[in-house]
Order: sequence, then C-alpha cells, then structure tokens
Amino acid sequence: MAGGVWLRDRTGLGELSACLRRKPVPLHRHTPWYYLGGAVGILFGLQVVTGVLLLLYYRPTVEGAHASVVRISSEVPWGWVVRSLHCWTADALIALVLAHFASTLALKSYRPPRELTWLTGWALLAIALGFGFTGYLLPWDELSLAATKVGTEVPAVLPLVGPPVTALLRGGADVTGDTLSRFFALHVTVLPLTLVGVVALHLWLVQRHGMSLPMTVEAAGEPPGRLPFYPDFLYREAILWLLMLGALVTVATLWPPSLGTPGDLLAPAPAGVKPEWYFLALYQTLRLFPAHVLLMEGEVLAVVLVLAVAAALLLLPFLDTRPGGPRGRWISGLVVVLFLYIAVMSVWGYCV
Amino acid sequence: MILRDSALGRRRFLRALLGGWLGTLAVTLVAPLGRFLVPPTPEPESVDLPHGDFADMALHEVRRFAWGARPGLLQRRPEGFRAYVGVCTHLDCNVTWNGEQRRFHCACHDGWYDEDGRNVAGPPPRPLRLLQVEVAGDALVVRRTEGEA
Repeated sequence: MAGGVWLRDRTGLGELSACLRRKPVPLHRHTPWYYLGGAVGILFGLQVVTGVLLLLYYRPTVEGAHASVVRISSEVPWGWVVRSLHCWTADALIALVLAHFASTLALKSYRPPRELTWLTGWALLAIALGFGFTGYLLPWDELSLAATKVGTEVPAVLPLVGPPVTALLRGGADVTGDTLSRFFALHVTVLPLTLVGVVALHLWLVQRHGMSLPMTVEAAGEPPGRLPFYPDFLYREAILWLLMLGALVTVATLWPPSLGTPGDLLAPAPAGVKPEWYFLALYQTLRLFPAHVLLMEGEVLAVVLVLAVAAALLLLPFLDTRPGGPRGRWISGLVVVLFLYIAVMSVWGYCV
Repeated sequence: MILRDSALGRRRFLRALLGGWLGTLAVTLVAPLGRFLVPPTPEPESVDLPHGDFADMALHEVRRFAWGARPGLLQRRPEGFRAYVGVCTHLDCNVTWNGEQRRFHCACHDGWYDEDGRNVAGPPPRPLRLLQVEVAGDALVVRRTEGEA
C-alpha cells in the first residue's frame, strides 16, 4: 500500500484514476456499440506483440522472406501459433474497425462537435487497411505477389496523379524486391508510428467531447443513465477482451493460415486468385466493369466512383448538416444501400 | 545606426531571411528525396535470348522469358517468332497462355486476349504490348516496338 502511495505521488496516477472514475459512459440501448473502440485497441496491442515476435525471425528480402516464414511455421517452437494469431487478429481487427465505422455512421456520431473525431477515425480506417495490404505481401508467396501487383496498379489508372503514386508504392515501375523492402518498412515503422499519433488525437477528441449520444436518445429529452468508466465499464470491457482473446487463440490453433509457393515475378497470376475479404467488394466491382464505358476505360470509371463514394463518406459531417431532416433521412437510406452493395459484392466476389 | 525611414521593418526582414533560407532548403531537398523514394527503373531496350533454348518450340507454343522485371511471352508462329509483354493491361497481373483455347488469360479479373494479343473478353482495355523479335546469329533479339516511348 505504501508503495502504491509512493507511485501515485510521483506519477500522478491518482489524478488519472479519479478522472476515469468521474468519466461517465451513457447507458441506453445502443451502449454495446461503445465497446468496439476499446476492443480495436486491444487487438492492435496483440498485433504489436505477435508482430515483434515474428520480427525476430522474419527476413524482408526476396531470397529470404518466404523461407523465413516457412521456418517460423515449421521449425521455430510455437512459431506457427504466433503467425496464425497474427493473421487471424489482423482479420478481426479490420472487422471490428469496420463495425465501429459502420456503427458511428449509422448512429450519426459525426454530428457537431465530433467532426474531427470522424476524420481521425477515417484516417485510422485507412491505416488499418494499409496494415493489411502491406502485411499481405511479406510472406512473398504467389498469392500475395499477385494481390500486390493489382493493388498497387489501381492508383495508376488515374491520369497524372496515379502513376507517381504507384511508382512510390512499388519503388519503381514494377513490383520487385524494393517493393518488399518498403512494404516492410511501412508495416513495422511508418504505419505504427502514424497510428500511435492519430490514435492519441482520436482518443483526446473523444475525451474532450464525451461519448456521443444517438439522436433518438437525445430527442427523448431525459438524460440517460450513467456508468462510471472506471471500474464499471472497463471491467465489462475486460470481459469482452478475454472472450475475444480466447476465440482468437482457438481459431488460430484450429485453422492456421496456409502458405503458397514462393513468389516468382515472372510467373502468371494463380488461377482463382482473390484478395482478402475486406477488398472483395472492390475486386468484384472491378471485375464487373467492362473494358470501356462510353469513352472512358472501365477501370478508370470504377476507381473514380469508388473514390467519390469514399470522399462523400469522409465529408459526411459537412454534407449531413441536418441529420434529423429530410436530407438526413435520404443520406441514411443511401448508407443502407451502400452496406447492402458491399455485402452483396463481397459474397458474389467470394463465390465466383 | 538607426534608419529613420525603412520600407521593411527589422523583424520582418529577419523573418523573410530565415523563411527564405528554410524554404530554399526544403525545395532543394524535395527533388533528391523524390528520386530516392522512386528510383528510375527503365525497361530494357532489348533482351538477347539464346536461340538454342527456343529452337525446339512447337508451332503456337509459348514460353516465358525475362523482360526486365516483367515476364515476356515468346510464341512460335508460322512466320517466325512473336513476343509480348506478358502483363495484363487491366491491372498488371501476369497472364498465362491457354494452349487448348490458343488464348492468353488473366486470372485476376478473368481477362482474355487472342493469339495476336488483342483483348477479346473481360475488363482488359487494351491489347498486350507487342515486342519485336529478330534473329541475330545465335541470339533472338527482343526489342521494344518502334515508335514506343
């Protein structure tokens, strides 16, 4: 106890603890959505731990990458569990980030004064997808090579600005060992550092503005019940985290990821090649667009449309200025259509 | 020395001097940084292939060779050899030769090209890039088509 007092006096932890006890979490029927943010944070922590462990054995070169992953999976004691956990947690992380994004979109949490929270959240979604995309190349197998060639070519379809972006991603005109090096650098240094900065800003904004209330709860007039963040909400979150960890370790043990044949820059794309599930909707959209639409190349139009939708979502706080009004309801309807489109395209892309 | 009249105050002058120096420094770093981040990776002007390695090719057979970092596809035709850059014009996947259908196929988005490299089905917007092939002694010289940049 004396030690605890000593630590509190010197670090100011007591003030933090008191602040967390005072911080209220609103209680209403949409409260469960509030758990998603912390869950994402824990999964990211798990990725850092498993990622550092993989880093001890992984070699980011064309000659060594695939062989080092084989070694991790087959020779390093428990290496296959670490790799499997890293792969499954990546999927779970992106799924929860998308769920968190969908819930804040549906509940219109981007209403003033939370516009910046929305924008930083968008940056975090882009960073999470960036982690998935850069990490996918690192095993350097035929599937990851094909996926990276397509993914890095997509920007190039846009005139003027596109080709330099592709060249920057690839480290040249083609996917080569230079691409592997810079994807590795992005995955283990640039993206993590950027993530820490943006998460800090995102959390500070959440603290500053408090938890957002759904419009129906605000309209009811009566203030909802309150749960102290510490210890009540945090202990409930901890239960969820433990359940998640248990589920992840279970699936990681039962269904470890496979590894394809080593990537060959000259080999054809493997038959039936498909991207990860979170890119399936985009993949199927690109497949459906014909070679030419009127005077434009099909993929150019597809990429422009996807960017337009992404820009509209990003700027939603400034477009949906009256969320309760007729335009707000139209926007809600369009969001539902978008969710359905993504779901249908993802299933279709998976099945073909 | 105190100047009674001055077009520019001292603080503003010093600020402009410092800002100008920092700005010039930034500008001089941008170009080298850009070249560091995106090194030039020119395509080869030509590639020499040992003729002997391809002399036993059957008619319409296609074999792969290295065209820089990309696959090249060499095909034996009645009139001689024909070569393409074996990269799909849609989104850069490497294509494969389907000998039964005598067409090139891109597995990424199900694009198809005929034997002459023309895009015939699926999303590819343009034909495969054609390369020139010449026999020069013991070598097959594959080079970029004239008029290409």
